[in-house]
Amino acid sequence: MKIKLMILAVSLLAFNGAAAGIDFGKLLEERINKELNKDKPTQPAPAQPSSTAPAATQNAAASPPPEKQKVDARQLGFALFGEYSIEEENRIGRQVAGDLLGAVKLVRDDKLQNYVNLVGNWVAQQSGRKDVTWRFGVIDSEDINAFAAPGGYVFVTKGLYRRLNNEAELAGVLGHEIAHVSQKHHLKLLKQSSLIGALGQAASSKAKDSDQVVQNLIGNGAEIMARKLDKNAEFEADRVGIVYAARAGYTPWGLPNVLQDLAGLPAGDARTGLLYKTHPHPADRLAELGEAVDGRLDAVRGKELANRFYRVQ
Amino acid sequence: MKPSLIPAAMLLLCTASATAWAAPGTVLRNEKLYAQPSASARVAGTVAKGASVNILAKQGGWLRVTSGKTTGWIRLLSVRAGAGGLGGAGVGDVVGAATTRSDPSRVVAVAGLRGLNEEDLKQAKFDANELARMEALSVTPTQARSYAGQSGLAAVNVPALPAPKPAESSSSWETN
Repeated sequence: MKIKLMILAVSLLAFNGAAAGIDFGKLLEERINKELNKDKPTQPAPAQPSSTAPAATQNAAASPPPEKQKVDARQLGFALFGEYSIEEENRIGRQVAGDLLGAVKLVRDDKLQNYVNLVGNWVAQQSGRKDVTWRFGVIDSEDINAFAAPGGYVFVTKGLYRRLNNEAELAGVLGHEIAHVSQKHHLKLLKQSSLIGALGQAASSKAKDSDQVVQNLIGNGAEIMARKLDKNAEFEADRVGIVYAARAGYTPWGLPNVLQDLAGLPAGDARTGLLYKTHPHPADRLAELGEAVDGRLDAVRGKELANRFYRVQ
Repeated sequence: MKPSLIPAAMLLLCTASATAWAAPGTVLRNEKLYAQPSASARVAGTVAKGASVNILAKQGGWLRVTSGKTTGWIRLLSVRAGAGGLGGAGVGDVVGAATTRSDPSRVVAVAGLRGLNEEDLKQAKFDANELARMEALSVTPTQARSYAGQSGLAAVNVPALPAPKPAESSSSWETN
Protein backbone atom coordinates (compact mmCIF):
# COMPACT_ATOMS: atom_id res chain seq x y z
CA MET A 1 0.00 0.00 0.00
CA LYS A 2 2.75 2.41 0.94
CA ILE A 3 4.47 1.93 -2.38
CA LYS A 4 1.29 2.47 -4.32
CA LEU A 5 0.74 5.70 -2.46
CA MET A 6 4.22 6.83 -3.31
CA ILE A 7 3.78 6.08 -6.97
CA LEU A 8 0.48 7.85 -7.15
CA ALA A 9 1.80 10.82 -5.23
CA VAL A 10 4.86 11.13 -7.38
CA SER A 11 2.94 10.87 -10.61
CA LEU A 12 0.41 13.41 -9.38
CA LEU A 13 3.17 15.82 -8.51
CA ALA A 14 4.75 15.32 -11.87
CA PHE A 15 1.46 15.84 -13.61
CA ASN A 16 0.54 19.00 -11.78
CA GLY A 17 3.95 20.54 -11.80
CA ALA A 18 5.97 20.38 -8.63
CA ALA A 19 5.13 23.75 -7.13
CA ALA A 20 1.37 23.53 -7.34
CA GLY A 21 1.35 19.90 -6.25
CA ILE A 22 3.36 20.48 -3.11
CA ASP A 23 1.23 23.45 -2.15
CA PHE A 24 -1.74 21.24 -1.59
CA GLY A 25 0.11 19.42 1.12
CA LYS A 26 -2.03 17.42 3.42
CA LEU A 27 -5.31 17.88 1.60
CA LEU A 28 -3.80 16.24 -1.41
CA GLU A 29 -2.35 13.46 0.65
CA GLU A 30 -5.72 12.77 2.24
CA ARG A 31 -7.32 12.68 -1.13
CA ILE A 32 -4.77 10.19 -2.37
CA ASN A 33 -5.33 8.06 0.69
CA LYS A 34 -9.04 8.15 0.10
CA GLU A 35 -8.60 7.02 -3.46
CA LEU A 36 -6.20 4.26 -2.49
CA ASN A 37 -8.44 2.92 0.24
CA LYS A 38 -11.06 2.03 -2.29
CA ASP A 39 -11.16 -1.66 -3.10
CA LYS A 40 -10.01 -1.01 -6.64
CA PRO A 41 -7.06 1.39 -6.63
CA THR A 42 -7.01 3.22 -9.93
CA GLN A 43 -3.91 3.93 -11.90
CA PRO A 44 -2.58 7.44 -12.38
CA ALA A 45 -3.13 9.62 -15.38
CA PRO A 46 -1.53 7.90 -18.35
CA ALA A 47 -3.30 4.62 -17.70
CA GLN A 48 -6.84 5.97 -17.93
CA PRO A 49 -8.79 3.35 -19.79
CA SER A 50 -11.70 5.27 -21.20
CA SER A 51 -11.62 6.69 -24.69
CA THR A 52 -12.96 10.00 -23.39
CA ALA A 53 -10.06 10.32 -20.99
CA PRO A 54 -8.13 13.03 -22.84
CA ALA A 55 -11.14 15.32 -22.93
CA ALA A 56 -11.89 14.61 -19.29
CA THR A 57 -8.38 15.39 -18.16
CA GLN A 58 -8.27 18.60 -20.12
CA ASN A 59 -11.27 20.01 -18.42
CA ALA A 60 -12.68 17.91 -15.63
CA ALA A 61 -15.11 20.59 -14.51
CA ALA A 62 -16.77 21.38 -17.78
CA SER A 63 -18.90 18.39 -18.70
CA PRO A 64 -19.67 15.93 -15.93
CA PRO A 65 -18.88 12.51 -17.37
CA PRO A 66 -20.53 9.31 -16.11
CA GLU A 67 -19.94 8.50 -12.46
CA LYS A 68 -16.95 6.14 -12.80
CA GLN A 69 -14.99 8.38 -15.13
CA LYS A 70 -15.75 11.39 -13.02
CA VAL A 71 -13.80 9.96 -10.13
CA ASP A 72 -10.87 9.14 -12.39
CA ALA A 73 -10.75 12.59 -13.91
CA ARG A 74 -11.08 14.38 -10.64
CA GLN A 75 -8.38 12.48 -8.85
CA LEU A 76 -5.86 13.76 -11.35
CA GLY A 77 -6.05 17.40 -10.52
CA PHE A 78 -8.13 17.46 -7.34
CA ALA A 79 -8.77 21.10 -6.56
CA LEU A 80 -6.21 22.35 -9.00
CA PHE A 81 -7.97 21.39 -12.18
CA GLY A 82 -11.11 19.57 -11.16
CA GLU A 83 -13.77 20.44 -8.64
CA TYR A 84 -13.80 20.18 -4.91
CA SER A 85 -15.72 17.14 -3.74
CA ILE A 86 -18.78 17.74 -1.59
CA GLU A 87 -16.78 16.53 1.45
CA GLU A 88 -14.05 19.05 0.74
CA GLU A 89 -16.63 21.74 0.13
CA ASN A 90 -18.32 20.96 3.44
CA ARG A 91 -15.04 21.06 5.31
CA ILE A 92 -14.19 24.43 3.84
CA GLY A 93 -17.68 25.80 4.48
CA ARG A 94 -17.71 24.54 8.05
CA GLN A 95 -14.45 26.32 8.79
CA VAL A 96 -15.55 29.59 7.15
CA ALA A 97 -18.91 29.50 8.95
CA GLY A 98 -17.31 28.72 12.31
CA ASP A 99 -14.85 31.56 11.85
CA LEU A 100 -17.60 34.01 10.92
CA LEU A 101 -19.59 32.96 14.00
CA GLY A 102 -16.46 33.66 16.02
CA ALA A 103 -16.79 37.29 14.95
CA VAL A 104 -20.59 37.62 15.13
CA LYS A 105 -22.98 35.45 17.16
CA LEU A 106 -26.36 34.20 16.08
CA VAL A 107 -29.33 36.26 17.24
CA ARG A 108 -30.73 34.53 20.31
CA ASP A 109 -34.22 34.06 18.91
CA ASP A 110 -34.91 30.45 17.95
CA LYS A 111 -38.27 31.30 16.37
CA LEU A 112 -36.54 33.74 14.05
CA GLN A 113 -33.81 31.24 13.18
CA ASN A 114 -36.36 28.50 12.56
CA TYR A 115 -38.42 30.78 10.32
CA VAL A 116 -35.40 31.78 8.23
CA ASN A 117 -34.39 28.12 7.88
CA LEU A 118 -37.89 27.12 6.73
CA VAL A 119 -37.98 29.86 4.09
CA GLY A 120 -34.35 29.43 3.04
CA ASN A 121 -34.48 25.68 2.72
CA TRP A 122 -37.57 25.92 0.51
CA VAL A 123 -35.89 28.46 -1.78
CA ALA A 124 -32.73 26.33 -1.83
CA GLN A 125 -34.75 23.34 -3.00
CA GLN A 126 -35.28 25.24 -6.26
CA SER A 127 -31.52 25.46 -6.82
CA GLY A 128 -31.13 21.87 -7.93
CA ARG A 129 -28.22 21.25 -5.53
CA LYS A 130 -29.39 18.23 -3.60
CA ASP A 131 -25.96 17.31 -2.22
CA VAL A 132 -25.90 20.32 0.11
CA THR A 133 -27.25 20.48 3.66
CA TRP A 134 -28.55 24.04 3.90
CA ARG A 135 -28.20 26.05 7.10
CA PHE A 136 -29.39 29.59 7.57
CA GLY A 137 -28.69 32.00 10.38
CA VAL A 138 -29.43 35.60 11.36
CA ILE A 139 -26.32 37.08 12.95
CA ASP A 140 -26.31 39.75 15.60
CA SER A 141 -24.91 42.73 13.74
CA GLU A 142 -26.45 46.06 12.79
CA ASP A 143 -24.41 45.93 9.60
CA ILE A 144 -26.46 45.52 6.44
CA ASN A 145 -25.12 42.45 4.68
CA ALA A 146 -25.54 38.78 3.92
CA PHE A 147 -22.95 36.06 3.45
CA ALA A 148 -22.70 32.59 1.98
CA ALA A 149 -20.04 30.00 2.61
CA PRO A 150 -19.44 26.84 0.57
CA GLY A 151 -21.37 23.80 1.69
CA GLY A 152 -24.64 25.69 2.17
CA TYR A 153 -24.03 28.01 5.13
CA VAL A 154 -26.00 31.24 4.63
CA PHE A 155 -26.03 34.28 6.91
CA VAL A 156 -28.12 37.43 7.03
CA THR A 157 -27.34 40.23 9.45
CA LYS A 158 -30.04 41.51 11.78
CA GLY A 159 -29.44 44.95 10.26
CA LEU A 160 -30.47 43.73 6.82
CA TYR A 161 -33.26 41.49 8.11
CA ARG A 162 -34.86 44.43 9.89
CA ARG A 163 -35.18 46.35 6.63
CA LEU A 164 -37.19 43.57 4.96
CA ASN A 165 -40.93 44.02 4.56
CA ASN A 166 -42.17 40.57 3.62
CA GLU A 167 -41.22 36.94 3.08
CA ALA A 168 -40.62 37.47 -0.66
CA GLU A 169 -37.88 39.99 0.12
CA LEU A 170 -36.28 37.51 2.51
CA ALA A 171 -36.55 34.83 -0.19
CA GLY A 172 -34.87 37.17 -2.66
CA VAL A 173 -31.95 37.94 -0.34
CA LEU A 174 -31.51 34.26 0.51
CA GLY A 175 -31.87 33.35 -3.17
CA HIS A 176 -28.88 35.56 -3.98
CA GLU A 177 -26.78 33.84 -1.31
CA ILE A 178 -27.98 30.36 -2.30
CA ALA A 179 -26.92 31.18 -5.85
CA HIS A 180 -23.38 31.92 -4.63
CA VAL A 181 -23.33 28.39 -3.20
CA SER A 182 -24.97 26.65 -6.15
CA GLN A 183 -22.66 28.43 -8.59
CA LYS A 184 -19.67 27.71 -6.29
CA HIS A 185 -18.45 31.30 -6.50
CA HIS A 186 -16.37 31.21 -3.34
CA LEU A 187 -14.77 27.89 -4.27
CA LYS A 188 -13.73 29.38 -7.59
CA LEU A 189 -12.30 32.41 -5.83
CA LEU A 190 -10.52 30.15 -3.38
CA LYS A 191 -9.03 28.07 -6.13
CA GLN A 192 -7.67 31.13 -7.93
CA SER A 193 -6.21 32.75 -4.82
CA SER A 194 -4.92 29.57 -3.25
CA LEU A 195 -2.97 28.68 -6.34
CA ILE A 196 -1.23 32.00 -6.08
CA GLY A 197 -0.19 31.96 -2.47
CA ALA A 198 -2.20 31.08 0.58
CA LEU A 199 -1.69 27.38 0.08
CA GLY A 200 2.01 27.63 0.62
CA GLN A 201 1.20 27.62 4.30
CA ALA A 202 -0.50 24.27 4.10
CA ALA A 203 2.66 22.52 3.07
CA SER A 204 4.74 23.98 5.85
CA SER A 205 2.08 23.59 8.51
CA LYS A 206 2.82 20.83 10.99
CA ALA A 207 -0.73 20.87 12.33
CA LYS A 208 -2.36 17.48 12.61
CA ASP A 209 -5.82 19.01 13.02
CA SER A 210 -7.77 18.84 9.79
CA ASP A 211 -9.45 22.15 10.50
CA GLN A 212 -6.05 23.77 10.58
CA VAL A 213 -5.42 22.49 7.09
CA VAL A 214 -8.58 24.11 5.83
CA GLN A 215 -7.79 27.25 7.78
CA ASN A 216 -4.48 27.45 5.97
CA LEU A 217 -6.31 26.93 2.74
CA ILE A 218 -8.83 29.73 3.26
CA GLY A 219 -6.58 32.27 4.97
CA ASN A 220 -7.12 34.13 8.25
CA GLY A 221 -10.39 33.67 10.07
CA ALA A 222 -13.41 34.52 7.98
CA GLU A 223 -11.35 36.83 5.79
CA ILE A 224 -12.64 35.15 2.67
CA MET A 225 -16.05 36.67 3.44
CA ALA A 226 -14.52 40.14 3.18
CA ARG A 227 -12.96 39.40 -0.16
CA LYS A 228 -14.59 40.79 -3.22
CA LEU A 229 -16.04 38.30 -5.62
CA ASP A 230 -15.90 39.07 -9.30
CA LYS A 231 -18.56 41.66 -10.19
CA ASN A 232 -20.08 39.26 -12.66
CA ALA A 233 -20.45 36.68 -9.89
CA GLU A 234 -22.60 39.18 -7.96
CA PHE A 235 -24.69 39.99 -11.03
CA GLU A 236 -25.10 36.28 -11.70
CA ALA A 237 -26.19 35.66 -8.11
CA ASP A 238 -28.86 38.39 -8.49
CA ARG A 239 -30.07 36.86 -11.75
CA VAL A 240 -30.09 33.29 -10.49
CA GLY A 241 -31.38 34.26 -7.04
CA ILE A 242 -34.55 35.98 -8.20
CA VAL A 243 -35.34 32.96 -10.37
CA TYR A 244 -34.99 30.66 -7.33
CA ALA A 245 -37.37 32.91 -5.39
CA ALA A 246 -39.83 32.91 -8.28
CA ARG A 247 -39.62 29.13 -8.61
CA ALA A 248 -40.42 28.87 -4.92
CA GLY A 249 -43.70 30.69 -5.59
CA TYR A 250 -42.68 34.16 -4.42
CA THR A 251 -42.91 37.32 -6.46
CA PRO A 252 -39.57 37.83 -8.22
CA TRP A 253 -39.54 41.48 -7.10
CA GLY A 254 -38.39 40.80 -3.55
CA LEU A 255 -34.67 41.22 -4.17
CA PRO A 256 -35.15 44.21 -6.51
CA ASN A 257 -37.16 45.95 -3.80
CA VAL A 258 -34.40 45.32 -1.27
CA LEU A 259 -31.86 46.74 -3.74
CA GLN A 260 -34.10 49.78 -4.24
CA ASP A 261 -34.16 50.26 -0.48
CA LEU A 262 -30.37 50.01 -0.26
CA ALA A 263 -29.92 52.38 -3.21
CA GLY A 264 -31.83 55.00 -1.24
CA LEU A 265 -29.69 54.68 1.90
CA PRO A 266 -27.52 57.63 2.84
CA ALA A 267 -23.99 57.48 1.46
CA GLY A 268 -21.21 56.70 3.90
CA ASP A 269 -23.56 54.85 6.25
CA ALA A 270 -21.25 52.73 8.41
CA ARG A 271 -23.67 49.82 8.17
CA THR A 272 -23.09 49.40 4.43
CA GLY A 273 -19.30 49.84 4.46
CA LEU A 274 -18.42 46.19 3.98
CA LEU A 275 -21.38 45.59 1.65
CA TYR A 276 -20.19 48.24 -0.80
CA LYS A 277 -16.62 47.10 -0.45
CA THR A 278 -17.56 43.61 -1.61
CA HIS A 279 -20.55 44.25 -3.90
CA PRO A 280 -21.28 46.53 -6.85
CA HIS A 281 -23.46 49.53 -6.01
CA PRO A 282 -27.17 48.58 -5.79
CA ALA A 283 -27.92 50.95 -8.68
CA ASP A 284 -25.50 49.02 -10.89
CA ARG A 285 -27.05 45.76 -9.74
CA LEU A 286 -30.56 46.99 -10.57
CA ALA A 287 -29.42 48.14 -14.01
CA GLU A 288 -27.67 44.86 -14.78
CA LEU A 289 -30.63 42.84 -13.54
CA GLY A 290 -32.93 45.01 -15.65
CA GLU A 291 -31.01 44.06 -18.78
CA ALA A 292 -31.33 40.38 -17.98
CA VAL A 293 -34.98 40.43 -16.90
CA ASP A 294 -36.55 42.92 -19.33
CA GLY A 295 -40.03 41.51 -19.93
CA ARG A 296 -39.16 37.90 -19.18
CA LEU A 297 -40.87 37.80 -15.79
CA ASP A 298 -43.96 39.76 -16.79
CA ALA A 299 -46.15 36.68 -16.66
CA VAL A 300 -44.80 35.42 -13.32
CA ARG A 301 -47.19 35.89 -10.46
CA GLY A 302 -46.03 35.18 -6.96
CA LYS A 303 -46.74 35.78 -3.33
CA GLU A 304 -45.29 38.45 -1.03
CA LEU A 305 -46.50 36.90 2.24
CA ALA A 306 -46.21 40.04 4.34
CA ASN A 307 -48.52 38.62 6.99
CA ARG A 308 -46.49 35.68 8.11
CA PHE A 309 -43.16 37.52 7.86
CA TYR A 310 -41.44 37.19 11.24
CA ARG A 311 -40.52 40.60 12.60
CA VAL A 312 -37.58 41.18 14.90
CA GLN A 313 -37.51 43.73 17.68
CA MET B 1 -38.50 72.53 17.22
CA LYS B 2 -36.16 69.63 17.88
CA PRO B 3 -38.59 67.33 19.74
CA SER B 4 -41.09 67.40 16.88
CA LEU B 5 -38.52 65.88 14.53
CA ILE B 6 -38.74 62.46 16.11
CA PRO B 7 -42.46 61.81 15.58
CA ALA B 8 -42.16 63.27 12.10
CA ALA B 9 -39.36 60.88 11.26
CA MET B 10 -41.30 57.97 12.73
CA LEU B 11 -44.30 58.85 10.61
CA LEU B 12 -42.13 58.94 7.52
CA LEU B 13 -40.61 55.60 8.39
CA CYS B 14 -44.05 54.04 8.74
CA THR B 15 -45.24 55.29 5.39
CA ALA B 16 -42.06 54.35 3.57
CA SER B 17 -43.10 50.76 3.04
CA ALA B 18 -46.62 51.55 1.86
CA THR B 19 -47.39 51.19 -1.81
CA ALA B 20 -47.97 54.88 -2.41
CA TRP B 21 -45.39 57.51 -1.65
CA ALA B 22 -43.39 60.12 -3.46
CA ALA B 23 -39.67 59.66 -3.69
CA PRO B 24 -37.00 60.77 -6.13
CA GLY B 25 -35.62 58.25 -8.58
CA THR B 26 -33.20 58.08 -11.48
CA VAL B 27 -33.90 56.28 -14.76
CA LEU B 28 -31.26 53.61 -15.48
CA ARG B 29 -31.96 53.07 -19.18
CA ASN B 30 -34.04 54.52 -21.98
CA GLU B 31 -37.56 53.36 -21.28
CA LYS B 32 -41.21 53.70 -22.09
CA LEU B 33 -43.85 54.94 -19.70
CA TYR B 34 -47.03 52.91 -19.99
CA ALA B 35 -50.57 53.98 -19.15
CA GLN B 36 -51.00 50.78 -17.11
CA PRO B 37 -48.50 48.50 -15.32
CA SER B 38 -48.23 46.24 -18.36
CA ALA B 39 -46.03 46.18 -21.46
CA SER B 40 -49.15 45.70 -23.58
CA ALA B 41 -50.70 48.95 -22.34
CA ARG B 42 -50.70 52.20 -24.28
CA VAL B 43 -47.35 54.02 -24.27
CA ALA B 44 -47.78 57.35 -22.50
CA GLY B 45 -44.29 58.65 -23.11
CA THR B 46 -40.61 57.89 -22.94
CA VAL B 47 -37.83 58.70 -20.49
CA ALA B 48 -34.10 58.85 -21.17
CA LYS B 49 -31.38 57.20 -19.16
CA GLY B 50 -30.25 59.50 -16.38
CA ALA B 51 -33.54 61.39 -16.18
CA SER B 52 -34.96 62.22 -12.77
CA VAL B 53 -38.41 60.96 -11.95
CA ASN B 54 -40.73 61.15 -9.01
CA ILE B 55 -41.86 57.73 -7.80
CA LEU B 56 -45.53 57.77 -6.87
CA ALA B 57 -46.48 54.14 -6.35
CA LYS B 58 -45.32 50.58 -6.68
CA GLN B 59 -47.16 47.55 -8.02
CA GLY B 60 -45.44 44.24 -8.60
CA GLY B 61 -42.61 44.79 -11.06
CA TRP B 62 -43.78 48.31 -11.89
CA LEU B 63 -43.38 51.83 -10.54
CA ARG B 64 -45.73 54.70 -11.24
CA VAL B 65 -43.64 57.76 -11.90
CA THR B 66 -43.90 61.31 -13.15
CA SER B 67 -41.33 62.73 -15.49
CA GLY B 68 -41.96 66.34 -16.42
CA LYS B 69 -45.61 66.49 -17.45
CA THR B 70 -45.92 62.78 -18.12
CA THR B 71 -47.11 60.21 -15.62
CA GLY B 72 -46.96 56.51 -16.31
CA TRP B 73 -45.74 53.08 -15.31
CA ILE B 74 -42.12 52.02 -15.74
CA ARG B 75 -40.38 48.73 -14.99
CA LEU B 76 -39.10 48.51 -11.42
CA LEU B 77 -35.63 47.51 -12.60
CA SER B 78 -35.31 50.53 -14.90
CA VAL B 79 -35.25 53.01 -12.02
CA ARG B 80 -33.08 53.40 -8.98
CA ALA B 81 -34.53 54.95 -5.86
CA GLY B 82 -32.80 58.09 -4.64
CA ALA B 83 -31.53 61.10 -6.51
CA GLY B 84 -27.96 59.86 -6.68
CA GLY B 85 -27.81 59.72 -10.44
CA LEU B 86 -26.77 56.60 -12.31
CA GLY B 87 -25.16 55.06 -9.28
CA GLY B 88 -21.88 53.31 -8.77
CA ALA B 89 -19.94 55.60 -11.11
CA GLY B 90 -18.15 52.59 -12.48
CA VAL B 91 -16.08 51.84 -9.43
CA GLY B 92 -18.79 49.89 -7.65
CA ASP B 93 -17.95 51.59 -4.42
CA VAL B 94 -19.12 54.24 -2.01
CA VAL B 95 -17.47 56.84 -4.21
CA GLY B 96 -20.50 56.80 -6.43
CA ALA B 97 -22.87 56.85 -3.53
CA ALA B 98 -21.09 59.84 -2.01
CA THR B 99 -23.21 62.12 -4.13
CA THR B 100 -26.44 60.43 -3.10
CA ARG B 101 -28.89 62.79 -1.55
CA SER B 102 -30.47 60.58 1.03
CA ASP B 103 -34.15 59.95 1.27
CA PRO B 104 -35.07 61.67 4.56
CA SER B 105 -37.43 58.86 5.51
CA ARG B 106 -34.50 56.48 5.63
CA VAL B 107 -32.37 58.40 8.06
CA VAL B 108 -31.98 56.33 11.17
CA ALA B 109 -29.64 57.25 13.97
CA VAL B 110 -26.37 55.56 13.12
CA ALA B 111 -23.97 57.71 15.09
CA GLY B 112 -21.59 55.62 17.14
CA LEU B 113 -22.36 52.46 15.23
CA ARG B 114 -19.38 50.84 13.65
CA GLY B 115 -20.06 48.22 11.06
CA LEU B 116 -18.50 44.83 10.49
CA ASN B 117 -15.15 45.22 8.85
CA GLU B 118 -12.38 43.17 7.32
CA GLU B 119 -10.35 43.26 10.50
CA ASP B 120 -13.18 41.73 12.56
CA LEU B 121 -13.43 38.90 10.09
CA LYS B 122 -9.69 38.39 9.86
CA GLN B 123 -9.32 38.20 13.63
CA ALA B 124 -12.26 35.84 14.03
CA LYS B 125 -11.57 32.63 15.91
CA PHE B 126 -13.46 29.46 15.02
CA ASP B 127 -16.46 29.10 17.35
CA ALA B 128 -17.47 25.43 17.48
CA ASN B 129 -20.35 26.01 19.93
CA GLU B 130 -21.99 28.65 17.82
CA LEU B 131 -21.59 26.51 14.72
CA ALA B 132 -23.20 23.56 16.51
CA ARG B 133 -26.05 25.86 17.47
CA MET B 134 -26.56 26.88 13.85
CA GLU B 135 -26.47 23.29 12.65
CA ALA B 136 -29.01 22.26 15.28
CA LEU B 137 -31.40 24.99 14.10
CA SER B 138 -31.51 23.77 10.50
CA VAL B 139 -34.64 22.13 9.13
CA THR B 140 -35.27 19.24 6.77
CA PRO B 141 -36.45 19.71 3.18
CA THR B 142 -39.71 18.04 4.17
CA GLN B 143 -40.33 20.54 6.97
CA ALA B 144 -39.58 23.42 4.62
CA ARG B 145 -41.88 22.08 1.91
CA SER B 146 -44.66 21.65 4.42
CA TYR B 147 -44.23 25.20 5.72
CA ALA B 148 -44.29 26.54 2.15
CA GLY B 149 -47.48 24.63 1.48
CA GLN B 150 -49.17 26.15 4.53
CA SER B 151 -49.24 29.51 2.75
CA GLY B 152 -50.02 28.07 -0.66
CA LEU B 153 -46.50 28.27 -2.03
CA ALA B 154 -45.87 25.70 -4.75
CA ALA B 155 -42.92 25.19 -7.07
CA VAL B 156 -43.31 27.14 -10.31
CA ASN B 157 -41.49 26.47 -13.56
CA VAL B 158 -39.47 29.62 -14.30
CA PRO B 159 -36.72 29.44 -16.93
CA ALA B 160 -33.24 30.70 -16.07
CA LEU B 161 -32.41 34.23 -17.17
CA PRO B 162 -29.77 34.68 -19.86
CA ALA B 163 -26.62 36.61 -19.02
CA PRO B 164 -26.57 40.02 -20.68
CA LYS B 165 -24.35 40.01 -23.76
CA PRO B 166 -21.10 41.74 -22.73
CA ALA B 167 -20.25 39.46 -19.84
CA GLU B 168 -16.76 40.81 -19.23
CA SER B 169 -17.75 44.28 -18.13
CA SER B 170 -20.09 45.65 -15.52
CA SER B 171 -20.60 48.79 -17.49
CA SER B 172 -22.65 47.21 -20.25
CA TRP B 173 -25.55 49.47 -19.35
CA GLU B 174 -23.40 52.52 -19.87
CA THR B 175 -22.66 51.71 -23.47
CA ASN B 176 -26.08 50.99 -24.86
